[in-house]
Amino acid sequence: MKINYEFSDFKIYLRDWIRTFRGKLTVLCLIGFVLLPLTADSYIIGIFNTFMIFTVFAASWDFLAGFVGQVSFGHAIFLGIAGYVTAFTIRYLNFPWGLSLILGSVIAVLFGLIIGVPALRLKGPYLALGTLAMSLILYQLFLMGSLAILWENAFPGTILFGTDGIGQVPPISPNPSISYLVIFLIMCSSLIILTHLGKSKLGTIFKSIRDDETGAKASGINTTKYKILAFMISGFFAGIAGGLYTIRLSGVNPGNYQPLYSFYAIIMASVGGLATISGSVLGAFIFVFLGEILRLLGDNPNISDMFGGFTEPIFIFSVILILIIRFAEHGLLKPVLERLQEVWDLLLGR
Amino acid sequence: MEIKNLTKKFAGLTAVNDMSFEIHRGEFVGLIGPNGAGKTTIFNLISGIEKPTSGTIRFDGRDITGMATHKIVNLGLIRTFQLVRSFKFMTLLDNINVSCLSPRGKRIAKDYGIDEYSSTILASVGLIDKARLPPVILPHGDLRKLQIGKALGTNPQLLLLDEPFSGLSHEEAVAITDLIKSLHSDGVTVFVTGHVLRELMGLVPRVIAMHQGKFIADGPPKEVANNKIVLEAYLGRGGEFART
Amino acid sequence: MFETLLSFLIFGTIQGSIYALLAMGFSLVYGVGGILNQAHGAFYVITAYIFYSCYINIPQYGYIIGIIISLIATTIVGGLVYLLLIKPLKESHVGVVIVTFAFAFFIERFVSIAVDSIYHNMPYLIVGYFTFFGVNIQYQYIIILIVSLLLLLLISLFINKLKIGKSIRAVAQDSEAASLMGINVDRILAYTLMISAFLASMAAILYVPVETVAPHIGWNVLLNSFAIVVLGGLGSLHGSVIGAFIIAYSRSFTNYFLDPVFSALIPIIVIVIVLVLRPRGLFGKKEIK
Repeated sequence: MKINYEFSDFKIYLRDWIRTFRGKLTVLCLIGFVLLPLTADSYIIGIFNTFMIFTVFAASWDFLAGFVGQVSFGHAIFLGIAGYVTAFTIRYLNFPWGLSLILGSVIAVLFGLIIGVPALRLKGPYLALGTLAMSLILYQLFLMGSLAILWENAFPGTILFGTDGIGQVPPISPNPSISYLVIFLIMCSSLIILTHLGKSKLGTIFKSIRDDETGAKASGINTTKYKILAFMISGFFAGIAGGLYTIRLSGVNPGNYQPLYSFYAIIMASVGGLATISGSVLGAFIFVFLGEILRLLGDNPNISDMFGGFTEPIFIFSVILILIIRFAEHGLLKPVLERLQEVWDLLLGR
Repeated sequence: MEIKNLTKKFAGLTAVNDMSFEIHRGEFVGLIGPNGAGKTTIFNLISGIEKPTSGTIRFDGRDITGMATHKIVNLGLIRTFQLVRSFKFMTLLDNINVSCLSPRGKRIAKDYGIDEYSSTILASVGLIDKARLPPVILPHGDLRKLQIGKALGTNPQLLLLDEPFSGLSHEEAVAITDLIKSLHSDGVTVFVTGHVLRELMGLVPRVIAMHQGKFIADGPPKEVANNKIVLEAYLGRGGEFART
Repeated sequence: MFETLLSFLIFGTIQGSIYALLAMGFSLVYGVGGILNQAHGAFYVITAYIFYSCYINIPQYGYIIGIIISLIATTIVGGLVYLLLIKPLKESHVGVVIVTFAFAFFIERFVSIAVDSIYHNMPYLIVGYFTFFGVNIQYQYIIILIVSLLLLLLISLFINKLKIGKSIRAVAQDSEAASLMGINVDRILAYTLMISAFLASMAAILYVPVETVAPHIGWNVLLNSFAIVVLGGLGSLHGSVIGAFIIAYSRSFTNYFLDPVFSALIPIIVIVIVLVLRPRGLFGKKEIK
């Protein structure tokens, strides 16, 4: 993969892109993002942090499912393993957070390959349930009190297993604005890399596997090798999200392995639109902010009288997901962008 | 390529029964037989999409029986499909790109640039003006050209064409025939199947006939056409043969 | 030592019977429709909660009424899942899998909101036990064993002898050919899902008193069903039953003689080993027998 742009070509590309509606919208959003810490309080910054982390998570899932056609129901594996490795190495081994993040992702990918390689070598629906199975088992494993005791005896002073998980993980920086900007940069780089991969020749190979795997083989492509590669890329970025999530929550616990988190990734990617990285951004945005609104509504006694707990976010989202898959299978990104563009044109009097 | 005692049984049905034949480099051979004779199954066996129950297949001196499809392709044995396959959501250019990105295809394509090389191929099959379009809007004849283009991307030594004429209008069939002829004159060994004989018989200097999975004849078209067993096989099926 | 051995055998057999019921339904849906129904665990959960709600809200006959209502309701839900979720998405494999997955969460959340999310216990159908060579065997266990075996036999006969059963097998072999022969493939698929839901429901009625009522119990059902069906061979009913007992005895063995840690690991170990060494499982074929 060589980036064959001459710098002047790139400048022209950038200039043309900014001229488009999408380009302007993206730049506006980016500026808004960067300025946010100046204006908002820590609660809002916190929500945006979660949003950015989940965007990376959703995009990683979308990369695998939308571009290569492989559906995983166990992305929580990456979230959890990376989370635990990150927490452990920062807290007990005093690694710098950057190293911990990368180490966490790498180890998460290795674990993912345990089920990934057997499942992807075969034709059939094995990846989805296989990854789900592995995440469930990791969940049970890390909950076990007996393992917690074993570990503490073997490595005193440290915790790995057990319901409490690992806690007291320090943030990236004592200054929340800096943490925020770091997460922002990581998110942008991840999204740019994933988008670029999707548009590259490697992406062409991936898409051929998605569209017609037998046809791809008949064109000489070793589809197993590329499926595994895509799985590793997807897992790596999911791991980055996992490490960041642990830092954000100052800790990790077995709950990170629940199917719930895998479901989060699916909701976000599907709502936004499969096979579009920007769709993951939209999907994560809707998920995090709508989820927060629903949660606040649920706390409001008037609402909870009327709806009695049915404003619970996951409940609502499972319904939304079912409706979207049924009726708007390609997600909301394109329709939303089209509507926005219409409004914009209207405002400018075209 | 050499086929020896090839047999493929599905549950209760012997689709290919003890077939043996050879094809030499540079030849231009047809495979005929009525519908259901087992022609596509043979192609599936040769190209690694199905594994034979017994028998061997050798290509270029190596045993490729049961090898994975993509490995066989990378040795230079390419096939096209009867029901046209394409990557529906990509442009024609990208469709060809995929083949050019295979290890075998890349060896040649990378010297020219992948996109450039694919464009040349598209031009050689007459589809360059539709390079940026997706396959969904193409008429059937163009899809067949695309298939051949995709095969070209992997630099075929032996090309298996499965029913390349089916569903085509006369003009389209002529275009495909010209394309295949020029491929052969460029040095590609071509092995073509068909069940309507008119196009095939005029095209190839050698024909192998099969019926119900079994080998029945091998030779120049005129000879095979007058072979008693072949006649029976076809007339028994309703006289498609009469068209020749 | 002998008591442990006996306990291991008993518990393994009981678990195996329940697993067999669950895996059979799961395998049936895959064999007939090619669908890995992520909502399989949800059927179990629905039954558990309707059963429980009836029991605590209806005096005297709540238990029995709970059994009847939950069986009927779950079976109907099975049909609805097919009609509303699976059938409209038949062209998109990805869509079906996601939608049934979403349904599983929907049910998990629904029951925790409509009822609650605390663990609950249900009493056995017949309380009491007898002692056999020093081991206490609950009457409930005997009930589980007898009822499951009966059900497995019934389903077996159903598939093999009855006309509908034969239609099911026909669709499992080749749905196009079956529809050309006049079989309403749609309806067969709906029935298959309903049978699958029914079996899961019976499993819940029998086993929930032994374990607990909680919103998340569906996931283990799905996990074990998948492992069993991979081991037994996707699409083979015999394989599901045999696989069910193999896995149940393995888990029981590791629970009694090794460490519960290993018991939890068994499903994934089985899945990985089978997929690497013999992907089609023990009896994997496309036909249903």
